[in-house]
Amino acid sequence: MTTTEPSLSEGRPEAPGPSRRRAPRTGSWLPTWDLITTKNLEIRKRRGLMVTMVVLIVVPTVLFYGLRLLFHAVDPHTYALAGSPEFFSQATNLIDEFGFIAAAALGAAAGTTDLSDGMFRHLVITGRSRLALYLARIPAGLAITVPLVALAFMMNCLVTSYQSPPDPTTVSFYGVTAAPEALSQARLQTWLLQHEQQVGNGFLPGLPAGPGITPTPAQVRSAIDKNIASYYSDYTAAEISGSSPAANEMAKIGLWLELDVGIAFLVGLGLGSLTGQRTTTTIVLIALEIIVTPLLAHTQLPYFIDGQRLLIGVAMDQLRPAALAAASGGGRGGGLLFGGHGALGFPPMPTWAMISVIVGWIVGWSAIGAWRMMTRDA
Amino acid sequence: MNAIAAAAAGHAHIPSIVLGIVVLAALGYGAVRLTHRIRLSRPPRRAPKPAPPSTAPPTPKPAPPGTAPPTSKPARPGTALPTPKPAPQSLAPFSVQRPDGGWAVETHGLTKRFGANVAVDGVELLVPRGSAFGYLGPNGAGKTTLIRTLLGLTRADGGTMALLGIPVPAGRSRALAGVGAIVDEPRFHPHLTGRDNLRLLAAARGGDADWRIAPSLARVGLADRADDKVATYSMGMRQRLGVAACLLADPELLMLDEPMNGLDPAGMHEMRTMIASLAAEGRTVVLSSHLLDEVERTCDAVAIVDHGRVIRQGPIDELIRGAGAMVVQVDCAEPARAVQLIDEAGIAAGTALADAGLTVTLPAGASREVVADINRRLVTAGIDVYGLREVQASLEDWFLSVTSRLGEPS
Repeated sequence: MTTTEPSLSEGRPEAPGPSRRRAPRTGSWLPTWDLITTKNLEIRKRRGLMVTMVVLIVVPTVLFYGLRLLFHAVDPHTYALAGSPEFFSQATNLIDEFGFIAAAALGAAAGTTDLSDGMFRHLVITGRSRLALYLARIPAGLAITVPLVALAFMMNCLVTSYQSPPDPTTVSFYGVTAAPEALSQARLQTWLLQHEQQVGNGFLPGLPAGPGITPTPAQVRSAIDKNIASYYSDYTAAEISGSSPAANEMAKIGLWLELDVGIAFLVGLGLGSLTGQRTTTTIVLIALEIIVTPLLAHTQLPYFIDGQRLLIGVAMDQLRPAALAAASGGGRGGGLLFGGHGALGFPPMPTWAMISVIVGWIVGWSAIGAWRMMTRDA
Repeated sequence: MNAIAAAAAGHAHIPSIVLGIVVLAALGYGAVRLTHRIRLSRPPRRAPKPAPPSTAPPTPKPAPPGTAPPTSKPARPGTALPTPKPAPQSLAPFSVQRPDGGWAVETHGLTKRFGANVAVDGVELLVPRGSAFGYLGPNGAGKTTLIRTLLGLTRADGGTMALLGIPVPAGRSRALAGVGAIVDEPRFHPHLTGRDNLRLLAAARGGDADWRIAPSLARVGLADRADDKVATYSMGMRQRLGVAACLLADPELLMLDEPMNGLDPAGMHEMRTMIASLAAEGRTVVLSSHLLDEVERTCDAVAIVDHGRVIRQGPIDELIRGAGAMVVQVDCAEPARAVQLIDEAGIAAGTALADAGLTVTLPAGASREVVADINRRLVTAGIDVYGLREVQASLEDWFLSVTSRLGEPS
């Protein structure tokens, strides 16, 4: 204990006396810049958490492409170029999947560590609005997830851009090959009608199928005329999946990834604030991502399909950009924000419903977390 | 979002084995953490003993301006003081008149319940500004709950309260801008340095708090360790960091809940010195403790709380005097016969044998003539008297006498 007692206003003009004190505006619900940056500092300095974030978000992409590049360099005949559209899609899905888990863990940590470390009461005693304390965590955490996801996705884009094979000049779908690229629906219809025999040997939906059954030219023409819209959708999906995504598609996919990971962070933050349990929150969100959503999305339950659509995973799948969805094997549906089709095979949701589910998850969990923060005993 | 779901739908190709390993590892890690948490949350088999009273020399209390320093007459070691029976005393505070500076803390009928348990039961508390005020009570009496309620850490179920003249919770932010507090054991983010923890709190405080970090750290003697992680701090250092956190507000009111907990005698001495210096600066210090000795050494006034209720409050000297706990130590021959003689005379409220004589507890309001009367009766009865000494009852004696009467019919 020091014997000297420095003035608390050292280096500053003498602090005003108690009666003249002008209290800082700590009651505002808006977080200050200082509040955000110091909260970001608190999260960043959790070394274990940061290592986990990097390992989950960046390292999979590095390993994925590192090995692909290495294998191709060693044996280019056996191993294709690392930047193929298929690899782009797989790497993006890796970032998405691990990014979701990492962001959920980060959100859970951001929502619980003040409590578990005993700092929450110190913060409340400052008189700062509890809502401001909660809201400060959002940009503080996103400032960590957004750059990491961006870094991983940028590597993905760079490899795809510089190591991609030439785009094919033909498109294959349903066993119909050699359809030229970039056809309009009318020109596709014309092309199909001109190649009745090849179409008849394929597996287009709507044609009579079975062992030894060969559709007649009339049946082929009828099926083409009747199902051309569906065929065109599949053709487009196949075309996209076979080509390297354009820059604008990459930008859409990047935004979609950031949104998905951001939602995971916000849900983790809200659920963490609600439960106060970091481990429980993380486990619940991992279970949501890898068990609940796949189980519920695997089979469409006609009597429960609206309930299934309330899953954030289903709604975000519907928002999946076209290039990514097509490469992931999707292709049904369409007409959504990013022109996506979803990879789960779920019937398309109305745009307003999809947006409502996504906004509902963001606002709902944020509101729950903020409410718990404001009412919790410190 | 869900590549796994896509894979389940049979479309995407995800390295599911890698993912599975990671997930299993995460689940395993979670289970380990959960087990660890459960183990930590189990109550200890035996309640920890309260820290022994400090053996360090007492720090003189800074006397309020214009008042003479209090004289202390400690009881002789080994003297068994009888339990005095003070006269019934008003529960009203020592002065219901508003002091010039106003009240630093003012509560009326403050109540806090946890289910059926009433932790704070209609507390009427008035703490004058500029005083060092002890909030005394046994463990579980509701001391911490009252402070938590005042600070807005938990909601009150009834009553009104004001800090520094500002009603709370209505003006909570404004009131807390002038309040610094340590509640329970001061805990901080262990992975951050002491300085970073203060930066976090200064950011929440706003205003000039950021500029007070360095002087606050220097004031509590942590300047040299400010850039070490809190995880490496001792309990005493964390307590000092807690005080530094309080000082960020340049507080008019300091509320310290059990600040001596876990400190060794040297640490207690340092903390006592610091509290005294803060009180000497004119800050109001509310010290919640079950350590009577510490409160007596540090505070001017006290409130006694038990079962959530304030049962006495006022300046320590007045309370002890008002309790009628004047005790006379009599050093004489034949102490047993002396006890019998005094008891038969009916001039004492109580008598007890001591190591070298006896102790006589005088009734409330008894004059010094009674002491002379005791001497006269003993000499007349042929008992040699070697000395009579008035013993000032300690706060502990008074506290025990007050709390021991709880539940008895008045």
